Formats: sequence, C-alpha cells, structure tokens
Amino acid sequence: MSDDFDPGALFQIEEPTAPAASKRAPGRGIGIDLGTTHSLVALAPHGEMPREVKDAEGHDILPSVVSYVGSEVVVGARARAAQVANPTQVISSVKRFMGRGRDEVGAHPYPMAAPKDEADQVVRFDMGAERAVTPMEVSAEILRVLKDRAEAELGEPIDGAVITVPAYFDDAQRQATKDAGRIAGLRVYRLLAEPTAAALAYGLDQTEGGKQGLFAIYDLGGGTFDISILRLREGVFQVLATGGDSALGGDDFDHALAAHLLEAAAVSAPTAQQREQALAVARSAKESLSDAQTVSVEVPTCGLSGFEVTREAFETLIDPIVRRTVKACRQTLKDADVGPDDLNGVVLVGGSTRVPKVRAVVEKTFKRPPLCDLDPDRVVAYGAAIQADILSGSAREGVTLLDVVPLSLGIETMGGIVEQLIPRNATIPIGARQVFTNYSEQQTGMVFHVVQGERELATDCRSLAKFELRGIPQLPPSMARIEVSFQLDADALLTVTAKELMTGIKQTIEVKPTYGLDEAAVDALVMESLDNAEADFEARNLAEGRVEAGRVSLAVRTALEEVGHLENLLPAAERELIVAALVATDEAMANASGTPGELKKAREHLETVSEAFARRRMERALLSGMEGKSLGEIESTLAAEEALEERRGSHTPQQT
Amino acid sequence: MDHFERLGQPRQHALDRDALETEYLARAAKAHPDKVDQDDASAKRAAMETSAAINEAYRTLRDPAKRAEYLVKLGGRDLDSSDPDVGAPKMPQAFLMEMIEHRERVVDARSAGADALDDLREDVDGQQGDALAEAVLAIAKGDTEAASRHLVVRRYLQRLLDEIDDEG
Repeated sequence: MSDDFDPGALFQIEEPTAPAASKRAPGRGIGIDLGTTHSLVALAPHGEMPREVKDAEGHDILPSVVSYVGSEVVVGARARAAQVANPTQVISSVKRFMGRGRDEVGAHPYPMAAPKDEADQVVRFDMGAERAVTPMEVSAEILRVLKDRAEAELGEPIDGAVITVPAYFDDAQRQATKDAGRIAGLRVYRLLAEPTAAALAYGLDQTEGGKQGLFAIYDLGGGTFDISILRLREGVFQVLATGGDSALGGDDFDHALAAHLLEAAAVSAPTAQQREQALAVARSAKESLSDAQTVSVEVPTCGLSGFEVTREAFETLIDPIVRRTVKACRQTLKDADVGPDDLNGVVLVGGSTRVPKVRAVVEKTFKRPPLCDLDPDRVVAYGAAIQADILSGSAREGVTLLDVVPLSLGIETMGGIVEQLIPRNATIPIGARQVFTNYSEQQTGMVFHVVQGERELATDCRSLAKFELRGIPQLPPSMARIEVSFQLDADALLTVTAKELMTGIKQTIEVKPTYGLDEAAVDALVMESLDNAEADFEARNLAEGRVEAGRVSLAVRTALEEVGHLENLLPAAERELIVAALVATDEAMANASGTPGELKKAREHLETVSEAFARRRMERALLSGMEGKSLGEIESTLAAEEALEERRGSHTPQQT
Repeated sequence: MDHFERLGQPRQHALDRDALETEYLARAAKAHPDKVDQDDASAKRAAMETSAAINEAYRTLRDPAKRAEYLVKLGGRDLDSSDPDVGAPKMPQAFLMEMIEHRERVVDARSAGADALDDLREDVDGQQGDALAEAVLAIAKGDTEAASRHLVVRRYLQRLLDEIDDEG
C-alpha cells in the first residue's frame, strides 16, 4: 500500500456537488442499543441528559425477541413468553446471525428456507405460511417498535438514529445492521461502537479535570464481547485499539449452565422445547447467582427438580469463556501500546458484567476496581442518544469521536494469500488504493475478493465481497493500470471505486456481498415496508370510511323512519332513489375487499340524493319556529304532532 | 500537499511527538464528518476525504520507521515499488545470504527453547534499530540512496521479528 495520499486522485466518486438545502432537525435524533438479548431506545434532545424511553406499561428494556407465531408479528416480552411453547417460530438473539452466512451460524432451532441458488449464503428463517425472514428483517421489527416508542414520546417524527454495534463487528455485520435500520424506515446517522458510546455516556471527558485520560471499556453483552482502549486529549476521544469476539457473551454462560442442567437430568438428546426451558432456567439461575451463593432450580420438561447450583460450580463452568475475554484484553492493551498501570479507569458495560466472576477477572487484569456507576444495561443507549443529538444538529457541547476499524482489510492475491490494505486499529475514515494490471490484451474484466481478518490465507478470513471490474480497455499485457480505491467511512463501512489510469476510463464495479443482501434486495425490502405502511394507511382509511358512511346512513334512515312517509317532504320518486342509495351504501360497507374510494363514492351518492330531503326538513324546522333545538328533536316533535293530526282527521292542512 | 504539511510539521525525521499529537487531534476533530450537516452529502464526503488524508498522514508520521520510509519516498525511492529506478534498491547477494542465515538461526533457537528465542529476538531487534538509525543519519545528509538501502535491511529484520513474535 502506498503511503502517499492525494485525495484528489484517490476519490473519484461522482456526487452532485450542489449543497443540499439543510433540513436539520435538532433534537429529533434517537439512540438505539440493538442488543443480542435486549434493546433500548434513549433520547437526549437539545443537550439534555440522556433518558431511556418507556413503553405504555413502563418498561424501557425490550427483549430482542420476535415471534412469528400465527399471522401477527410480536416483539418483546410477549414474544419471549411464547418461546418455550414455539421454539421454532420465536426468534431470539438474532444479532448473532447478522452479517453471517448459512455455513457460519452454527446450531440453532430455526428452520431455514432453501437457498435461492448454490451461491446464496443469506440466512432466511422459514417461519411457516410461506414466510421467510432474514436476520435484517427480524432486527428491523425490533427497531420499528423502538422507533414508534420514541416518536410517541417526542410527539413528532424522528429525523434519524444512531444505532450501536459491537466494536468488533466486521463490515458485513455493520452493513447488516445499517440495512436493518433502513428496512425499519430509519435514517441511520451513524453506527457507533458500543464501548465508545459507553465512554461518551460516562462523560469521561468531564472527569479528573477533563484534560487527559486513558480508559479501558470492557463490554460483555448477551452475545458479544468488546474491549476498547480510549484516550481523551484535547477534547477528542480517540480509540487507540479495540478487540473482542463478536460471538462471545452472557448467552454462552447460559448455554454452559443449561448443558450442565441437561447433563444432570440425564437428557442426552433434548428436544427444542427442553432446551429452551433449560436455557430459560439457566438464565434466571445465573442472575440469582450474582447475589446468592447457591440456587435451587427446576426444569420440569426434563424431570429435574430441586437441583442445587452453587456459585462456585457456575464459575467453574464459565471459566473458559471468561478466560477468552482476558486474552482479548491483553492483546488490545498490546495493540494500544499501553500497560494496565497507564490507565486512569476501567468501565464495565453490558448486563453480563454483573456476574461477580467477570468483575473479579477484570479487576485482576487491569489491576484496579472497575467503574460501574451507570447501569450497564443502559449506558450504551445513553451514549448513542448523545451522539444522535449532536448529529441531529443540536448545539451541544461534545467531544469528537475518532474510532478505529477493528479488523484488517485485505484483498486476495495469487495463491489465496491476503495482501493487507488497511491494518486493524487504523483510525477511520481511512482509504487505501491498489493498482492492478492486465495479463492479456483480450482481458476486459477482473474479479477480486475483499476479505477482513488477521490471517494470512483468504480462506481463514471473513469474505466480505467479490468485485468485478469490467470495461478494461484493450491494452498490451501489463499496460492497463487499474487503480482500485477502498474507502472506510466513519461507520467503518467499505466502498470501492476504480479507474483505469492509462485512459482515465472509470470502471463498472459489481458488488456481490458474500453474506449480506445486495443493494437491490435491501431497496426491495425498504419498498416492501413502505408498501406495508401504505397497506396500513389503506386499512385505516377503510375503517374511517366505514364509520363515516355508517353515520350518514344512520341519519338518513332515522329521518326516513320519522318523516319519510310525508309526501310533501319526500316525493315518492326521490324516496326510491334514497332507498337505493342506502342499499348501495350497506353493500359497500359490507364488502370486505372494498376500497376506501368505493366507500366514499357510495356515501357521497347517498348524501347527494338525500340532500333535497334534508333541506326540506331543515326549512320545515325553521318555519315551525323551533330554532335552537336540534333537528332530531324538532323532527320528532313535528312528526308526533303530525301523527296526532293524521289520527284526528284526514284533512290535515299542509304545511308550507 | 504531503503528510508533513498536512499535519503542520517540518519535513524532517526528528519530530516533537507531543506537538505532532496535538496538531493531529485538532485537525482530525475539525475535519471529522460528524462536524458537518448530515443532510449535505457532498460536505459529508469532502469531510470524509479530508479526514482520511489526515488519519493516513498521522499513521505514517507517528511511526519512526514509516516516517523514514516516507521521507525516502519523497526523495525518490518508493520501497513499495519494485521498479529498479524509483523503487526499492536491489540488494547485494551477500545481504540475502545473511538473511537466510538469520532465518536458520530462528529455527534453531525455536528448537533450543524460549530463552534462546528471547536472546535472538533481542539481537535482531538491536540490529533493526541500528538500521533505522543509520537510515535517519543518511536522510539528514540528503543521501536517499544510502537511506533506502538501510531501510530495506530494516524491513527484512522487522519481518524476522514478526515471525519470531507470531509463533513465539
């Protein structure tokens, strides 16, 4: 990779240059912590302190569980409650599947829809009733609930969102998260690393004189682990190094304990239901063991009751998992070129840091008791809300965040060897470029493979995408010089552009993400969600149309009943028209597949043909000097009088 | 604009590390894409490009070896290129033989145990530091050719160090 850097030549990205009119919406940005086990939305409008947003029942924590049982999609606690009974149609921990391929996801209880073709690596869960959903769509359901909740709180539409991701998420996982946001109808301002968000929420910039400091953020969530070393200096939060494991978390504690319970119950081949129950029991036992020394558990579906789990036994079970986090911490300290003694503080983030064993290990590794003043379940959402407020355009005092890319980015060369383009822990945004040449005059295209990871062989790294360059001009071998530019933006998301240097011809690049959805597929899902929004709108219109038609129809019917028999008010021919219009309105209201337009037409027709009748009734009421009373009252009074007269004699003087 | 100008530093190997840091942070904060109107796509892109250039400059200048290689590059020798005129200089046979011997020593030390490997590492690291020091001297004298040869030596030794660390 070249060290010289000329942005003019490097970035040949076509973009309309006219500055867009500013439509900033200060205070309408939200922060979302899209977690493995639970999610949360927070607000910090106009420089306010961040606060979590609660649902109607007063809960702010939304379990990241989505149920596809029946025709309704349910998110949260209700979905989780349905999980043991419907283990295959209730999806939890979907974050583990984000940006992952079919071959990578390991064991899980969900039936998979058939791949579209041999190369199709996109995970699609088969939820029955011909419904297949991708992890992005499942996550979008969670995001949609949080978005609605924030809008209800704000009382106006939100402008954009900052969604947090584990610092150690690779490009595919970040892209999947951003796509989920788009599918949920959110404008994603930024993807923010979870530890960085936590540092922001802690206001570490305001502690100890606020001038300078070095901090470690240890973030152990439900399914991901991050360790970041941050330095604060000159009002800038600079991530020096980050490390972790995007498939390691408190869920693994549950699995280890659940396996132990199943073993104790001598269940060697558990059913999906038994496994779900064992997991649920393990989860609550783990939580109890944060305070208690022993806990007694029951797993009825496995015939286990009164089984004692001690904290010591639990700690032995989770020891190998906790050790893996320590290894990552040591590596990250080394990458940042700092020792534990250089630190000013260690911050704990993520619900799994409540486990006493985790705290003890962190204290030992960093040689100091960790900070945990802020609720580890909420601190990430708080930080996201602060950053969202800044990005919405609020005049908010804030630090600048300089984040890094967690994993090296490279390209596969001859023999499957990876040539590194951007090293891990490089501050983003960052770019790199590479010049390729042709091997024959007949060559008009070129395929190359971008990977992310630290290993030397491409097959050991994560495949991000294959790019195909086309339209290479016909030049003698080695004469074509194709410069490919890689750009990582502030979200650590990759874009690639290319041009031929000899001729200046820009190349067509076709991006085939290895595990995610391509641009067109995401667009289709975004459109689908808009269609759904349209369908929702239609349904509401229809319902409103029915109410309106019913109101008009009832009024006309009442009038007909009371005074419709009076020839002077309603000539027979007119009456026939009205009765026909009433029938047509009834039919329109009863038609289940009717449209709001049809309903409206029927109602308007009824109003038109009954208009003269209504006018005559009004005139009659006015003439009778009974202003001030409602038309209904007048009519019933008049009708009663008339009926009386009719009974008295046949020659009733006509009222004019 | 070169990396030194980009971070307001004199074009020389000896830099005040603290001043470099302060300049970098101030410039990186000012240029960051978060500082512009998020609705203005072209401003956002421009900020991204400027930020990327500043970050790249810092990555190069903060590391003494990278900084030396960059100065040599500005002087007309790009170590990343194999072009005989402007790329990495061709090394004499004797040097390549020496490197093969070094590699054999690593294999021997590895089988001899951790202490032997540590000793070797220290030795190679010392040589690597010497090569860089000689390159820096040559740069100060304006001798790009000599500097580039010392830096190629340094790269070989660095690779050896990485190998020792990787499996050590």
